[in-house]
Amino acid sequence: AATAPRVPPTRLALHYFDSSYSLHLGALWPSVRAALLCEQKYGALLNSFAAAEHVPQELQLLNAADFVSPASQKAQQAQQGAAVGEARGCQEGSGEGRTAMQEGMVTQAEMSPPLCTSISSKIKCYTFPRGDVTRFPPARPDALGLLDYYLLDAASLLPVLALDVQPDDFVLDLCAAPGGKTLALLQTGCCGHLAANDISVSRTKRLYQVLHSYVPREVRDTVSVTSYDGRDWDQVEGGTFHKVLVDVPCTTDRHSAMEEDNNIFHKRRTKERQMLPLLQLQLLMAGILAARPGGAVVYSTCSLSPLQNQCVVQ
Amino acid sequence: MAALWLRGAGRALRAGCSLPAAPGPCSRRGCGAAAALRTMGFSPEQARRLLALQPRLGPEHREAAATQLLLLGLSPEAAVALLERSPALLRLPAERLRERAEELRRLGLDGGRLQRALSRCPQLFHVPRKRLEAAVRLLRERCLFTAGQLREVLGTCPTVLLEEHRTLHHQFQYAYFRMGVRQKAMVDARLFQMPFAELRNRHIFLERRGLYETPHKGQTQTSNPKLKDIVQLSEKDFLASVACSTPEEYEVFKKLLAREEEEKEEEDVDALYTEDDGDDDDDFDSDESKTAQE
Repeated sequence: AATAPRVPPTRLALHYFDSSYSLHLGALWPSVRAALLCEQKYGALLNSFAAAEHVPQELQLLNAADFVSPASQKAQQAQQGAAVGEARGCQEGSGEGRTAMQEGMVTQAEMSPPLCTSISSKIKCYTFPRGDVTRFPPARPDALGLLDYYLLDAASLLPVLALDVQPDDFVLDLCAAPGGKTLALLQTGCCGHLAANDISVSRTKRLYQVLHSYVPREVRDTVSVTSYDGRDWDQVEGGTFHKVLVDVPCTTDRHSAMEEDNNIFHKRRTKERQMLPLLQLQLLMAGILAARPGGAVVYSTCSLSPLQNQCVVQ
Repeated sequence: MAALWLRGAGRALRAGCSLPAAPGPCSRRGCGAAAALRTMGFSPEQARRLLALQPRLGPEHREAAATQLLLLGLSPEAAVALLERSPALLRLPAERLRERAEELRRLGLDGGRLQRALSRCPQLFHVPRKRLEAAVRLLRERCLFTAGQLREVLGTCPTVLLEEHRTLHHQFQYAYFRMGVRQKAMVDARLFQMPFAELRNRHIFLERRGLYETPHKGQTQTSNPKLKDIVQLSEKDFLASVACSTPEEYEVFKKLLAREEEEKEEEDVDALYTEDDGDDDDDFDSDESKTAQE
């Protein structure tokens, strides 16, 4: 008797995506699918704490450009009289896979103007022009050992921009590890205090490494790193934050489609995967409770799934 | 069919080459050569063009080569054009040209197909016989094309005889195993007309878009696009009707894929230095090593 063939988790993931996302995205799905299976669009998040004034020029010579400030200007222009979009608005779930940063995707998900007045951030993130697949050279340390930029999927930045941190805000990053978005929050220069929490001790180690490689001591002192289960945050403190980022665990679509290791579509993790929307909801609730009245919460995932995005938020 | 074309040339040759030469400027040596060519059926202009090729070559070479081409059934104009494109043919002994045509005819390339194949790929004359035979063996014994299918393939894609064997084999295996396509479809689609790299680009683009799936074992029906549409359509039409995508998307995809393949190759080379493995060829049989290498 033959044993059942083992289907690799990536194939299971793609089958799942094919059935649910083709319904959801229709004719856009083939382009998105191909984009998931090709290399992501990288952004170089500049490290304002490093002594690296030469870097913007170097990057410009390579033909890369900061995408944040032009977008911010456009947003301010669009503010005048333009209606804000539907569920794709920045305050709600922004599935990173769908953003304009996806390589090879002709379909642009517009960066809808935020509901707040401006993207007043000092964040600078360089990308190569559309269709240009050049890679960034590795980051280099300055005289003090701080790296000059952090390479990430450019789309990862959008939730941070949407949060629109204002000077002296108390900010909570509820699922902070491995730390790319945390670093971006610090780049705003506006965090009066930043609480970076993640349930996973091992991933929190990576977060520490990022902080040590990019951020000077005096700024690191304004960050408190914790390892609570985010759902229990109200037991830590509630209603104190101006801004809360809830970047929840999800099916990490790109990773699940490409990597066999540590893949949530593996059969033995089926229960875990099916419980995700509930977990995500609980984390979002905790994040909302952690925000003070008038504060803002941004919920984000790196999945395209409506079950993990719109459904949770609604 | 060659007999038809012999009409002009043969009659003149039999007559001992004594038609009057046309009036016009020519060197002492050229006059006789031009006359000979004219009796074979070339116009004064065509004769002049032929004489301009490899001028230091003796006239017998020129005439012999031209004769062979005419015997093959090429028109005088086609013969001149071919020689202009590949003057190196003039250096081959006429016997070689004749033999090669014979060999190709035996393989099933005949009449118009032979003319077309030779006109388009004059290198077919130059390729060593052993290579030709190895290519045919590959197609018949490894790829299991029938004799009829082989004739069809040679007629539509004569360049298979010139292709690097390894690449040819890989292209076949790719279509067979990765794309799940069988010999008949490969022949109908004229698979080998498309460079292997381009086939991979188009197929993988479809695959990643979710429009092409490798059939499972035993699966006979698929909703995959036909190989014919993938291979025969222009890039523009392929993108519009099969891939449902844009040139821009495809360009970016090709760049990304090229880089992936480059990096995969580097990895494979590294792996070679660490393992002792033989080839990873899937094949019907696995006696790759028995194939004669030239």
